Amino acid sequence: MVGLSLGEQHFIQGGISQDLRCDGRKRLTFRPIHVETGVIPQANGSARVRMGATDVIASVKAELGKPSFLQPNKGKVSIHIDCSSTAEPAFEGRGGDELSSELSNALQSCLLGGKSGEGAGIDLSSLIVIEGKICWDLYIDGLVVSSDGNLLDALGAAIKAALSNTGIPRVQVAVGESSDDQPEVDVSDEEFLQFDTSGIPVIVTLTKVGRHYIVDATSEEESQMSSAISFSVNRQGHICGITKRGGAGMDPSIILDMVSVAKHVSEQLINKLDSEIASAEAEDQE
Amino acid sequence: MAGTGGTAPATYSPSPTTHKNKTSLFQQDWVRPDGRGFHQCRPAFFRTGAVNAASGSAYAEFGNTKVIVSVFGPRESKKAMMYSDIGRLNCNVSYTTFASPVRGQGSDHKEYTAMLHKALEGAIILESFPKTTVDVFALVLESGGSDLPVVISCASLALADAGIMMYDLVASVSVSCLSKNLVIDPVFEEENSQDGSLMITCMPSRYEITQLTVTGEWSTPKINEGMQLCLDACAKLAKIMRSCLKEAASDSQE
Repeated sequence: MVGLSLGEQHFIQGGISQDLRCDGRKRLTFRPIHVETGVIPQANGSARVRMGATDVIASVKAELGKPSFLQPNKGKVSIHIDCSSTAEPAFEGRGGDELSSELSNALQSCLLGGKSGEGAGIDLSSLIVIEGKICWDLYIDGLVVSSDGNLLDALGAAIKAALSNTGIPRVQVAVGESSDDQPEVDVSDEEFLQFDTSGIPVIVTLTKVGRHYIVDATSEEESQMSSAISFSVNRQGHICGITKRGGAGMDPSIILDMVSVAKHVSEQLINKLDSEIASAEAEDQE
Repeated sequence: MAGTGGTAPATYSPSPTTHKNKTSLFQQDWVRPDGRGFHQCRPAFFRTGAVNAASGSAYAEFGNTKVIVSVFGPRESKKAMMYSDIGRLNCNVSYTTFASPVRGQGSDHKEYTAMLHKALEGAIILESFPKTTVDVFALVLESGGSDLPVVISCASLALADAGIMMYDLVASVSVSCLSKNLVIDPVFEEENSQDGSLMITCMPSRYEITQLTVTGEWSTPKINEGMQLCLDACAKLAKIMRSCLKEAASDSQE
């Protein structure tokens, strides 16, 4: 991205304080969101989300694995994000590592809940096959194809869409002779179980520019930010995760104000996203 | 090590909130392993000047969590880095192999480095050391729970000991949610079975939050309560840090 001149910076900041952004949006309006599901046929589930010029792809692959010792009745999910060098030349080689790990960590804390597994957006106990022995491991991979700001929200939406597109194969278990033997599992190629995604939260990033917050910032607006807080809100209006980016300090009352703004904005986003995903799935079926 | 100080280590428990601890209403009555109340923090022990070779260093001991941080700098930036008219901050958090109960298990905390960086960069006046880098290296000697908040507080004390200009000391406290109870300053056991956690890093004198991380499901009143607890505890922790620095300064004057 080319650097901004002083005049352009003032234009962006002035516009935001007057509730009129460079592309004509209001402060709390999202860019149009386009969702396509089933873009990667080899994966168990996949989706592509476009918000303006930001383009991300998420894919979900399920493999059989052993549940962790501490939580024998839950499956495992791992989220990994990769920033491709097609998005920014700076991402080539190790350059995109910092951003990728920041995004992966933020998504993991938003979607996977506390250490005991409570409050997780994804219901891990539905991934268990045989308690203590066999479970499904979900590998969720996100790829940033083109970056124009608001990557976290787009990735969150893509993961939600990919999970609703995910089919876990039905597993037939043959009981072994002794309980210590590895049971025989027959993974069906035909029947699939749809994943329940009603509990998955959406992520809303509020970027603070001057004294106002905007939603869905472009990369130009992000370069002017003092700090940004990403909130993960689920359908019931509960906060499932908060991450703060940017070093500037913030008054606690502002943060609480942002919580209520995020909840308000997330309602609209959840409805919009659900209808987009439903229409994408319907198109996919044809 | 904690016993060598003259006075007992100070504690920074926050003021009790307006509603009492609702112990009678919950199915799971959690008794804290070290007998503390839910809103009681561990006694905090700080010592600066722990490492002679470093520009500044600090050692912190909160119950079973022992952390040592050394600060090197401002030093010349590596030649590969571009010119920059503000200083650079480079952080690293590592665990010793004997830090966790199971040997070598502390290595899944790679994100702590990035979080330490984010917590400190808002407080340091980077313009005061252009073209140079300040390195902050944190080593967790024993991990007894609530590691990252202790690392952040200890790091800001080490930066103050090194004489790096800062807007304010950075204090950090975390709160765990254990099935509707909020427990402050969790220990290792409590962290492993927590339903959610809230960690706040703030600059108490300016009353500004530099870093906030929440995991798990929280309703707005709970977030409110958690934040108030943490901010209160942070203010008291900052006083303890300040008195540690004053002691060290008056000791060196004698």
